[in-house]
Parts: sequence; structure tokens; C-alpha cells
Amino acid sequence: MNPGERAAVVVIGAGPAGVGVAVGLARRGVGRVVVAERRQSVGGVPALYRKESGDVPTFLLWTRGRVLFGEQLAERLAGKLPAAGVEVWLESQVIEIFPREKRISLVSPMRGKLDLLAEAVVLASGARERTPAERAYITGSRPGRVLFTKNLLELAAKSTLPSAESPVILGSDLIAYALSAKLKAAAAAEAAIVDRSRGPQCSLPARIYFRRWAKPSYYHAHEVRVAGRRSVSAIGLPDGRQLRCDRLLISGELTPSSELALMAGLRVELRSRRPVVNSSYQLSEPGWFAAGNILGGNHGAEWCYRNGLRVAACVARYLRSVRAAR
Amino acid sequence: MVAKGKLLYDWPGQGCEPELRLQNSAQLAREPYDVAIVGAGVVGCALAFRLSQCRLRVVLIEKHYDVGEGTSKGNSAIIHTGFDATPGTLESRLVTAASSQWPALAQKLKVPFDPCGALLLALDDAQGAQLADIYKKSLSNGVEDVRLLAPAEVKELEPNAPDGVRGGLLVPREAIVDPFAAPIAFAEVALANGVDVLLGLEIVGVENPEAPVKTLVSSTDKRIAARILVNAAGLGSRALADCYGGGPFDINPRRGQFLVFGKYSRGLLRRILLPVPTPQTKGILVTPTIFGNLLAGPTAEDLPLGAPDDTDTTSEGLQAVISGALRLLPGLQNQPVIAAYAGARCNCAQGSYLIRYNDGHPGMVTVTGIRSTGLTCSPALAEYLLEGLAAHCGLKLDPKPDALEGRPESSWPGWWSRPYENAEILRRRPDYGRIVCSCECVSRAEIIDALNSPLKPRTLDAVKRRTRAQMGRCQGFECQIHVAEIISAHLGIPLGQLTKNGPGSELVAAA
Repeated sequence: MNPGERAAVVVIGAGPAGVGVAVGLARRGVGRVVVAERRQSVGGVPALYRKESGDVPTFLLWTRGRVLFGEQLAERLAGKLPAAGVEVWLESQVIEIFPREKRISLVSPMRGKLDLLAEAVVLASGARERTPAERAYITGSRPGRVLFTKNLLELAAKSTLPSAESPVILGSDLIAYALSAKLKAAAAAEAAIVDRSRGPQCSLPARIYFRRWAKPSYYHAHEVRVAGRRSVSAIGLPDGRQLRCDRLLISGELTPSSELALMAGLRVELRSRRPVVNSSYQLSEPGWFAAGNILGGNHGAEWCYRNGLRVAACVARYLRSVRAAR
Repeated sequence: MVAKGKLLYDWPGQGCEPELRLQNSAQLAREPYDVAIVGAGVVGCALAFRLSQCRLRVVLIEKHYDVGEGTSKGNSAIIHTGFDATPGTLESRLVTAASSQWPALAQKLKVPFDPCGALLLALDDAQGAQLADIYKKSLSNGVEDVRLLAPAEVKELEPNAPDGVRGGLLVPREAIVDPFAAPIAFAEVALANGVDVLLGLEIVGVENPEAPVKTLVSSTDKRIAARILVNAAGLGSRALADCYGGGPFDINPRRGQFLVFGKYSRGLLRRILLPVPTPQTKGILVTPTIFGNLLAGPTAEDLPLGAPDDTDTTSEGLQAVISGALRLLPGLQNQPVIAAYAGARCNCAQGSYLIRYNDGHPGMVTVTGIRSTGLTCSPALAEYLLEGLAAHCGLKLDPKPDALEGRPESSWPGWWSRPYENAEILRRRPDYGRIVCSCECVSRAEIIDALNSPLKPRTLDAVKRRTRAQMGRCQGFECQIHVAEIISAHLGIPLGQLTKNGPGSELVAAA
């Protein structure tokens, strides 16, 4: 194993929140800032919302009244990093964190397995879509052509957006509605939206924007049974109706990616998986912070970036006080 | 391991390279096989493994696109001691024999195995009164290392056992195992020893069951000649028996639903927790998995005859699993669930372990009703079948001196011994440090190793069962498409044509 390296701050995740934290810290000149990103590029989930002809822009900058593609937003964010002098370690998977020692263990193809010691660490690992088992209302078989929104976006970026005759989206929040617009733009048939909630989990303006008012939608679905052996063929609703389905999308319902914190014994609310933070975004162990969608919720890239900047201010204040005490 | 046998897929479409495809029967040997085993679940694979150590020509035929795709993948992954079996039955004899073979066998086959022990909990006075009987039953089953425990001892061994526990029975040698690796390992060694393995080939007819050399016909009209046919088709054994006029028996699949809890919950438990069985069922247990999760289940739901493929989960079933599990381990409340699955036990209405030699016609062998002990029993059952085949079907068992009995060191799965922990391995092949599945820390190189492994897995599910990529808490959210891309690039198969579990489950449907 390589000997441990040292940094002033390590940021885990290079999505909008992680970039915000890193840029904010670099501007304040706190010392060496390292961002560990498991993927090959910076930008996180927004980068998957590619700009394609005829496509619907899916990121809304409410504060500036502008609409753009996630990809464009991610590029802008990534552009800020070199100027700020932040080190970004790509393809670097953090496998374990040690809160007491302020140490993280990571694996990367170039560096091998190594430990990084820091004065402060920020978890900005974002959120993921809840799995069928976590949602608990999705039962039945486990066939092919069932994808998370993220998987569909990745597949679309690599080949072509798979067409579908009768797509069904499980979930009704902003992610689900943006996905239905994306599918429609790709000439798939109109998707049915199914959720266990009483109504759409997405704001009225966003629904209007995504032109998804009067499309087939089914709420109060307290159990959805997936049918199909090799690939999904239908889904059964509680009232006995069967919806034809040749592509099932498990969409939205984000849950924080807080596993590192949970496994390391930092305080995490078990039900919501939210790490417990104080008013300065500090976790249950001093020197450990969290930023962006890992804090819970379903925020856009702009919010996450700004939140990252705010967390950076808190981290800088912490570093000043610790360094002063020394 | 150099394969002496052939591995071929009967695969319509482009999800698999042309070199691996079975195009016509001429690709197979002209001489008839001595034994054709139909069904590559853990029983069929174990039999192929044992037969491969003799000078015989053997073919293993499976309708799915990987081995172990049926009941063998949907169980509780426990190697039983048989302490609670009905004494004197064939099942009990085989379980007892197999239980003592497994520790050494797992080491030879490189199948992850952990004899963590089990604790049967009595939760009320009525159950407490039954413990003594179960203890006596264990002794008569030859499981003599069991021990009756007082409530305080139970709490000492398992601090998270419920407070009102009345006592327990410790079964030290109950073990957990990687259930996917067992059939894979058996089949890989069989293949290396010269057994031909045909995947994706469904046998739907036997042309001349009365002749000394029978012709098996597949749904795609491929023909395979063999002297002996062993029907190890599990839930499909009735349909296959109908092809050769096998005697009467009925399969009543009994479905079991399970819930998998995340690694965070692993610390709640050290051993398998078992409830006191009722006359109807063994009940819902909670067990650690060899992968570092907790598992709760199974339900016992009798399905109607002719519903062999129903491995759906239901909300009532999963609710029953939760409430059963909470009785044994109240600390499971609110713990993160990561997956739910179901399997169907091959329950035979005419009795368990129904084995008929020369069933209907000479050379036809039916092996069915293996219920829920197939994984445990497989090595002993294979041995038992070998003797039977020699005695009843005249099969000559000449040992093959150069036959392999296990897999090489390199076959240990990556999750069991992390390649990235070894700096030298990482330096030689940096892809071992390129983590693709973040939940289970599976690297790109491990996925490629799996693709190159002897049984040439070609579906996402088959790769998942070998590497654990997609089997963690996010269930493929993070890595499904990345894994698919790696497979696509390595094999030259278009991304959209990759399948979850064989033709018909392509990522992108044919236009």
C-alpha cells in the first residue's frame, strides 16, 4: 500500500455540490484541496442530460429564469475547477472512511490503494434513485428492460435512446417528468406515470413546462406487480388493471448516498438515510461535512453548487479555528 | 483451467459471439454420449462433476443461458447439517453425509464457505418444551455436537436475540455458502474434465426412448444421442418425463420469498437464527450471507400444479417475511432492505427425493423432488446416483487418473479476496483498481476475468452472480450500463444486444 498522502480538505464526489465545495475552498486559499471522483469525468448526474437535437432542455435555472441542458451546466462547472487550482482525482473510488483519524481509503487504477489524511473531509456523493425493494410497493418478477432513469440516460448517451411502444415510469417527481419529456422527444410512445402517492410529486410549473398535464397517470398504486419473464411485459395495478409495458423506468425518489458515513458510524437517520448535520453542515464527528443531495431532497444542479459554496465557507471557518487553536 | 469439453450456446440473435453458438448438431461428437444430464442446477452440475472423474462421455444440457438459473439461485444459501430432518429418510442420510463433505469440498472448488453455526430460538413456553425433542432428533440424525442453551446463554451468543427468549439449540456446523458459485464450480470442473456443456438448449422430445441409444430433440430441432438420460430438470422434470413416458409424479412448486438487508445490518447477527418449526413449515429464518448481508425468509407458499415459473414476490409474502424475521431479530426494524427475490422449491407430491432408474424405458433416470436441500445434498446425491447408475443402468465407472477434483487458486471470487489489496496485482493490471460497481467494489478486470472464465458467461445476470457487480445496495443504479459497456467492448457485441438473462431480454428491443 502507498504511504498516506495529506491534503487540507478532501471532497468525495465531483458533482455540482463537490465542485461548489472545491471552488469555494480554493478561492479562500485553505491549502491543498483534492476531489475524489469515482467516474472518469466531472459533473455528476447533470452531465448525463445530453444536448440532442429536438430534445427538451431539462435543467431549470429558476433564479435566472433560464433553461438549459444538464450537460451544458456540467461543462460550466467543470470549467471552474482548473482555474481554482483544485486537484481532481478521477476513477478514484473511496472504499472506506475513518472519522476519528480523518482518513479515507481509496482505490484507483493509477495510484492503487492508498490512504489520504485530511484536516477536513466533505461528503458530496449525492443521491441515487430508490430501488424497487426500497420502495416496497413494487413486487412481482425481476425481468429485463427495467432501468433506472440514470441507466436510460447512460444507455441513450452510448447508443441510441431505446424506443418503446408502451413505456411506464414509476415515480412522479421532477426526475420522472423530465424523463417523460426525454422519452417523448426520442419518439417513444407517451409514457404512463404510476406512483403510490395521491398525486404528482412534481411542482405545477415544472409539469406545465414538461407538457405532461393530461397524460395517462395512475396514482394510489399501493402495490405495483411487475410481470414478464425475460423482459417486462405488463404491470399490474391494485385495482386489477394490467398496463402493457415494454420498458419500465424506476424513476426519481432520491435517497442519499450516505453509505460511507453509515458504515463508518457517523450519525445517519436510518429511515431517510440522511446524515445528521448541524447548522454549519458538520456531521457527528468534527471536521466531517456534507454538501448537496446527500443531505436529502431532490435539488437541481444549481442549488447543489450554491450549497457547495456555502459548505465551503463553513469548512474554511472550521479550518481557521482549528489552525488558530494549534 | 483448460477445458477439454465443449461449451456451446443455442442462442438466437446477437447476444453471444458466433464461435460459441451451437449452429447444428454436427458440432457435437458423432459417437453417442454415455450420459446426458438434462438440467444444470446444482444437482445436475454436481452429477456432471462426479461423472467427469470417470472415463465416460457426458453432456450437460440446460435450457437457461447459465448454470444454476432455477431453484439453485433462489434459496437461503445454507449448508444444513440435517439436525431436524426426518430420521431414516434418504434425504436425511444424504444431508448428513454431504454436511461433513462440504468444508473440504468448498476449499477444493474455491466456493466461499463459512461454518458460522445456527441457533434455534424458542420464543414461548410451548416452543421451549419442543426443544428437547428437537435435540433428540438431532442426535438420531447423527448431528451430535448440538447443545441446549438457557436464555442467558442465548443472549450471550446472540445479544440481539429477543428479550423474552425461552431457550435455544445451538447447531455449530450449520454453514453459509456462496450459492451461485457451487453449480458454477461443479460445472467448470466437469467442463475441464471433458464434459460438454450446452446452454440455452431446451429438450422437448425423446425420439426413441426404448432404443439403447436415444435421441434427444431440442425446441430448436437440434439432436443429441445418448445411452442414458438423467432428468435433473427440477421444476421442469415433469414435462421432460412426459417426453420419455416416465412414471407418474406431480410437481407442486413451493414458493419462498426472501428479503436481503444491507451490509450495515450484518453486525446484528453472528449465526443463522432459526425458529422452532411447525408441522407445516420450517418457518422464516434470518441468516447472515457469505457476502456480508443479512437475509430473511423464506415463505412457504404452495403453488398450483403447472405454475413452475412463478417466482414473483408479493406484498403479503414480503410482509410475512418481515414479521417472521422481526420475531427472531427485533433489531431488524427499519433496517435498509436492498432486494427482494423468490425461488420455487421442487416439491414432489409423491415424496421427496424421488429417484427412479429405468423409468418407463431402460436408460431413463428421473431425479426429482429435491425440495430445499439440493444445495446441501448435491455432492452426496451425485455419489449416490453414481452407484445407482452403475447398479441399475450398467454404467461402467472407470476412474480417470488425470481428472481434476477442484478449481485453481485463481478461481476465488474477487469479492472474497480483494485483488486491490495486493499492490503487485494492481501494478501488473491497473484494471483491478478501476472500480465499476461502487457498492460491492468490483473492478473492471474482475468483470473481464468472469467473461473469460470457463463457462463463458454472456448475460448480465450471469456476470452478476460471478462478480457481484449490480448485487449491492443500489441494485445496478450506478453500474448496470457500465458493466454492459465493458462486456460489449470486450466481446464485440453491440451494447443494445446485451441481455439480462438470455435472448428476449436485450437492453434494447429489436425494432
